[in-house]
Amino acid sequence: MTEPIPVLKGTLDVLVLKALSGAPMHGLEITDWLTRRSGGELSFDESAVYQALYRMEGRDLVEAEWGVSDNNRKARYYSITAAGGRQLAEESRQLVRFGELVKIILSTSPA
Amino acid sequence: MLRPGVRRLFRLRLGRREDVERDTDEEIRAHLEMRAAELERRGLSPEEAMAEAQRRFGAPEEARDELVRAARRRERRVRWRDRLDGLRQDLRHAWRSVKGEPGLAAVVVVIIALGVGANAAMFGVLDRLLLGGPAHVVDPGRVVRFSIHATVPGQGEVSDNTFGYVAYEALRDHARDLDGVAAYSEWHDVVGAGEAARPVRVGHATAGFFPLLGVRPAVGRFFGPAEDRPGDARHVAVLGHEVWRSRFAGDSAVVGRTVRIGGEPYTVVGVAPAGFTGVELKRVDAWLPMSLVHPSPDWRTSWQAQWLKIVARLAPGVTRERGAAEATRSLRAAYPGTEKFIERADLHADPLSYDDSGHEAREVAVSRWLFAVSLIVLLVACANVANLLLARALRRRREVSLRVALGISRWRLVRLLLGESLALALLGGVAALAVIPVVGHVVRSALLPTVAWGDGLVDGRVLAVAAALTLATGLAAGLLPALHAGRHDVIGSLRAGMRGEGAGTSRLRSGLAVAQAALSVLLLVGAGLFIRSLHHARGIDLGFEPERVLMVRPDWSVPGPSSAPTPEERDRRRARRSAFFAAALVRARRLPEVERAAVTVGLPFQMWFTLRLRVPGVDSIPRLPGGGPYIQAVSPGYFATMGLSLLEGRSFGPADHEGSEPVAVVSRTMARTLWPGGEALGRCLLIGRAERPPCARVVGIVEDAHRNALHEQPSMQYYIPLGQERGFGGSALVIRPRGDPEALIGRLRRRLAGLDPEVLYLRIESLESVIDPHYRPWRLGATLMGAFGILALLIAAMGLYSLVAYTVASRRHEVGIRMALGAGRIDILRWVLRRGVLLVASGIAVGALLAAAAAPRLGDLLFEESPLDPAVYAGVAALLLAVAVAACLVPAGGAVKLDPARVLRAD
Repeated sequence: MTEPIPVLKGTLDVLVLKALSGAPMHGLEITDWLTRRSGGELSFDESAVYQALYRMEGRDLVEAEWGVSDNNRKARYYSITAAGGRQLAEESRQLVRFGELVKIILSTSPA
Repeated sequence: MLRPGVRRLFRLRLGRREDVERDTDEEIRAHLEMRAAELERRGLSPEEAMAEAQRRFGAPEEARDELVRAARRRERRVRWRDRLDGLRQDLRHAWRSVKGEPGLAAVVVVIIALGVGANAAMFGVLDRLLLGGPAHVVDPGRVVRFSIHATVPGQGEVSDNTFGYVAYEALRDHARDLDGVAAYSEWHDVVGAGEAARPVRVGHATAGFFPLLGVRPAVGRFFGPAEDRPGDARHVAVLGHEVWRSRFAGDSAVVGRTVRIGGEPYTVVGVAPAGFTGVELKRVDAWLPMSLVHPSPDWRTSWQAQWLKIVARLAPGVTRERGAAEATRSLRAAYPGTEKFIERADLHADPLSYDDSGHEAREVAVSRWLFAVSLIVLLVACANVANLLLARALRRRREVSLRVALGISRWRLVRLLLGESLALALLGGVAALAVIPVVGHVVRSALLPTVAWGDGLVDGRVLAVAAALTLATGLAAGLLPALHAGRHDVIGSLRAGMRGEGAGTSRLRSGLAVAQAALSVLLLVGAGLFIRSLHHARGIDLGFEPERVLMVRPDWSVPGPSSAPTPEERDRRRARRSAFFAAALVRARRLPEVERAAVTVGLPFQMWFTLRLRVPGVDSIPRLPGGGPYIQAVSPGYFATMGLSLLEGRSFGPADHEGSEPVAVVSRTMARTLWPGGEALGRCLLIGRAERPPCARVVGIVEDAHRNALHEQPSMQYYIPLGQERGFGGSALVIRPRGDPEALIGRLRRRLAGLDPEVLYLRIESLESVIDPHYRPWRLGATLMGAFGILALLIAAMGLYSLVAYTVASRRHEVGIRMALGAGRIDILRWVLRRGVLLVASGIAVGALLAAAAAPRLGDLLFEESPLDPAVYAGVAALLLAVAVAACLVPAGGAVKLDPARVLRAD
């Protein structure tokens, strides 16, 4: 297993939005979803997920409500708003394009 | 567990501040515990699991604090967003309900526009007259104008506001507590010559006048002390802005050019800013140095020559009383003579809103009342709008009940309804912008046509007042319905459906209708009192007929304004002017439109003279409260021209002239006072200061003529033949046309032109136009109070109509039953009318009481009219009842036409 890479600054928001685009989740579920999807290769403080959530709730990209988790615990469930959906589409398009460009540039030899 | 969307939709409350922290802690704990539980399931001990969970979460304390901060930020932003959403929703809601009932909305908007517009316009007038002071005067509250008051035995309190140069010097040099003292006078003069000659108003001011007021020139400069030095004054002029614009096309190069004023050349040194009128409110076309104007050769030292008005700026913190006391002290200290009037007189420091008599100008008092009146109109408008909104709130009771049942908060409901009335008020406020200039223009031209209002009708202060009034109206009108809805009985009204209204609402609405009627009565009684006053004033017999008389006064070109004329020059002028008037009289009489013409020295409401008078056989001439005796020198035909009736003896004829036997005609009051036995004819008057004046034999008695006011004490008056006058002068031509006096003015001017090149301009006015301003306070009160009263009445009638119509509509069922039970149309009609008329009758009672309490405060604004004149009260009551019946008849007619069968089946 390679060393996990830290999440690039500013990309956690869009990852969280992606996580929520399927179904509402609470914070821990989002964390686990991110770990699972990255095969454990992403490294981040779990509290950062909450920072991202609060930030995005303030900007009306996600909204929250208290609910009950599968194992009967009270938990705050987050879901993506319409504005959040638009933000996700826009940001992921840019990030993917950026990643491709980085790959192209870094894989060519300097002439 | 509500979804946020639902929470927002129904405006449920967000968490409080401390809740945010608790929630965040709760969320963190849930996370850590669930994580630890998961790790425990993988085989870690509870302690290890918790430690690992915390490690993964991040530094525990820091992370927690940061998260709480982030959560607070989040909460703030969410709250703001909710508020904005709420506002948007409120506005959308208000707009929808305005659109839903456009008729009602239009009525409300018009009412508010009229109410707010009238008030803002009146404020604009009052602001200029009273609050803001004359244009361009900095801090006008500290600028005062002096008047002098003294009690004279036999004449009571006598006051004046003109002073001599010596008094100005005394105040300027010796009075403490004054930041500056300046003097000015205003007079008419002529610019240009020949055909282009125009009358202008000229201000003569000391150089310190302008810095004292704080005014800055629009172009160039005002004149300085060096140009206003007594004995060495320069011919410099500062033009008024309007003259500069109209005659010099607003060209800045006007500085240095020469203008002829009164036949004299002046060098223009500057232009006053637009609207600058000094401390009075009349237009001033040019400002000249005070030192150029000499009423008499000894003007610099004489205590007799009084022609200047004195203004001062009080030092900061100095009261008007202290300023006045200080000025009085300085004046008394400087006065060397023994004249009791000045020795014992007190100076008053009057605000600029006072008139020449040292009292608050009547126009100011009237406009203060009118502002109060327009506020009452606004109150009526508020009551009316509140009533309309209440009626609508009742119509929408089901909607409101549903909202309340769904858990809408009371506050939120009040907000929604207030939002509606505010939106309507806002529309009304915008519409008021169209009303303000109209009302403002009417009030200004009716109130003070001679005032140079200068700036536009709508300025920042007026706009601010309009905005404040709009807001207040919206709140006041919306508050009652909103509060009423706020304590809404949900179950009751859901059950009751649309039928009927609660007793409380009914009382409230009736109360509002009564209030409207009462306030209308108050205004209409005021209007009635003013109309009667005007009527009384119009009915006064002035002794002569001003509406049938034109007067012609020449402005003479006077060479060398500085030096007093030599005796030879004075004789030359006298001869020349007599010749002019003799020729003018001949020319005027030849015009077919002229019935009679005469020449006079002294004229009612214009100029009057008193000379020393002794009467053989009468020990001392009694002093009448009206003053006098006043003397006038007139040519033959004067009495007939003026319409003064000859009571006894003869009037003057061609044989009475300069050098002929001295004769006199006395007024009725003079004859009765001096010779109560009725033996006036043939008696002797010794006129003048001479040791032994010749005896002027009384040959006739004429009717008294009012001298200077509509309401005045009788005075003694006597007349001598023109040409026999000594010691006074300044003639005028009076003309009695056959037809309309105003129509003759142009023709007369052409006919008399060119008689004498020394005549710069002929001022021709009807005597009526000179006297007319004296009627103004009553005419103004009558028209404007009448207009506001009618406006209030219309609004109130509309309110009554809507109330009765609503009542009828909501009681169709009851009407149906009554009809089914055999009530005839008359019964139904009576039933509906009774309600409306009862409301109005109580309104009349309340309003009459209010009026009876308020009217005596009108005081001397009324003219020979009792503030409790029963005719006025009865008339207003009748008018209101008639309007009430009319307002009720329409809905009553609807009720009568109901088909009972259909009404009963439908419900």
